[in-house]
Amino acid sequence: MIEFRDVHKFYDKLHVIRGIDLSIARGEVVVICGPSGSGKSTLIRLVNQLEPLSRGDILVDGQSVASSRGRALRRLRSQIGFVFQQFNLYPHLTVEQNITLALRKVLGVVPEDATVRAVELLDRVGLADKRFAYPAQLSGGQQQRVAIARTLAMRPKILLFDEPTSALDPEMIGEVLAVMRELATSGITMVVVTHEMGFARELADRIVFIDQGVILENDKPVDFFLSPQHPRARQFLRQLLSPLHTAND
Amino acid sequence: MGGLSFDWVGVLSGDPLKWLELGVLTTLYVTLAGSLLATLIAVLLLGLRISQERIVQWPAVAVIEIFRNTPLLVQILFWYFAGFGLLPAGWRAWINDDHSWAMLPGGVGLLTPEFLAATWGLGIFSGVFIAEEIRAGLMAVSPGQREAALSQGFGHWRCLAYILLPQALANSWQPVIGQYLNLMKLSSLATAIGLAEITYQVRQIESYNSHALEAFAVGTLLYLAIGTAMGQVLLRCGPRRGTMVRGGKRHGP
Ligand SMILES: Nc1ncnc2c1ncn2[C@@H]1O[C@H](COP(=O)(O)OP(=O)(O)OP(=O)(O)O)[C@@H](O)[C@H]1O
Ligand SMILES: [Mg+2]
Repeated sequence: MIEFRDVHKFYDKLHVIRGIDLSIARGEVVVICGPSGSGKSTLIRLVNQLEPLSRGDILVDGQSVASSRGRALRRLRSQIGFVFQQFNLYPHLTVEQNITLALRKVLGVVPEDATVRAVELLDRVGLADKRFAYPAQLSGGQQQRVAIARTLAMRPKILLFDEPTSALDPEMIGEVLAVMRELATSGITMVVVTHEMGFARELADRIVFIDQGVILENDKPVDFFLSPQHPRARQFLRQLLSPLHTAND
Repeated sequence: MGGLSFDWVGVLSGDPLKWLELGVLTTLYVTLAGSLLATLIAVLLLGLRISQERIVQWPAVAVIEIFRNTPLLVQILFWYFAGFGLLPAGWRAWINDDHSWAMLPGGVGLLTPEFLAATWGLGIFSGVFIAEEIRAGLMAVSPGQREAALSQGFGHWRCLAYILLPQALANSWQPVIGQYLNLMKLSSLATAIGLAEITYQVRQIESYNSHALEAFAVGTLLYLAIGTAMGQVLLRCGPRRGTMVRGGKRHGP
């Protein structure tokens, strides 16, 4: 479904992604984790070309991302859902309009059908009553659920999440994870950058640990949590589990 | 009190009153025409300025810099004395002819060198500023908005039209109103080329019956009234900022 082939990314001289090879099968849920600045966001932003590739290629359903331009690229992007850490809802539109805008203007769905889809999805994420609210009237957790609904409305083949719960107050993380849990079991292909190790342990088919732009671990959750091979992965897990005892490790 | 005494009747009756009426109409017409032209030019310049092609960006930048950094009075004088002369002779003769159809209600001629030069000068000058205000509003939209739109499959122009520009307009609407108000006030400079707007008429009254104080007071009040009304109208036409502020007042069902 997604195949990274010797992927490199430079920001000017800064070599951020350094030769990544990775295959993700249809329906797989892959969690990507790693220390801050290791290149997790960059890696998934390469998949839909929010950042251009510097070298190598990514194949999405066999289609080369590197050589997709214009119409083909827009089509590819419309088939890949992306959920941002900062939600990025359109603040000038209502919740419903946030969901229907791209349906109508990108996919050409007629307004009535777009509305029906929006109402269905809002129901699915538990926000049917917020249909006419503006994003600024919603809590962070509600905004992120609308953002997920907006993404699902496009009926994407792949969902990419970039730390979807990191900007949320702790009491709101659960409601977003609940929606993601439901998605993970629905059979859609998901790539999730997250520090929520509970989600990873329970729902991931595979965990990819990256550090300084290279993959250090690529394991089933049990193996990753019980016997991580690489010392940096062991250190990362220790820090995550007991953040207070990290300074002199 | 000394020698200070007012004679308002000397300004608000007879010929002076008729002149003032004509002045107000002329100011209103040139403001309206100039605003329409400014809007058109702003849209055009903004389109070029934010296009992804360098080739069309730099002419827009050049136009913006030229008209933003030179005095409007000089620009208006240029269009009237030099610019008009650059038009083909046939056009000039045609413009100078009498056109009954181009006579606006109230007896203000649309097709006169004065009206055209003033409209054109005000339109370009203000259009440049409006384009830059909206561009500043665009810069203030969070980059995440564009990323969200691109990730949904929007292209450059549709992303602008549906997502970025509505927010940019909301961000910049106050300064944009300021530019339209400026245009109205700056139309007084067209007195220098003999456009018979408010300032021109005030000076005519002053030389007719020396009622300088009264004439300028009335002129000032007229600008104030027009400006206030215009500001209110523009504020009402504008995008509602309230929807973008957390916890603000909303409209809608
Ligand atoms: N647009 C950019 N321009 C220049 N450097 C960038 C840019 N985006 C990211 N970087 C750099 O690339 C490296 C990887 O960044 P990235 O955001 O992918 O890390 P991350 O793993 O997502 O980190 P975090 O957990 O903090 O989100 C960092 O060193 C970062 O400073
Ligand atoms: Mg990141």
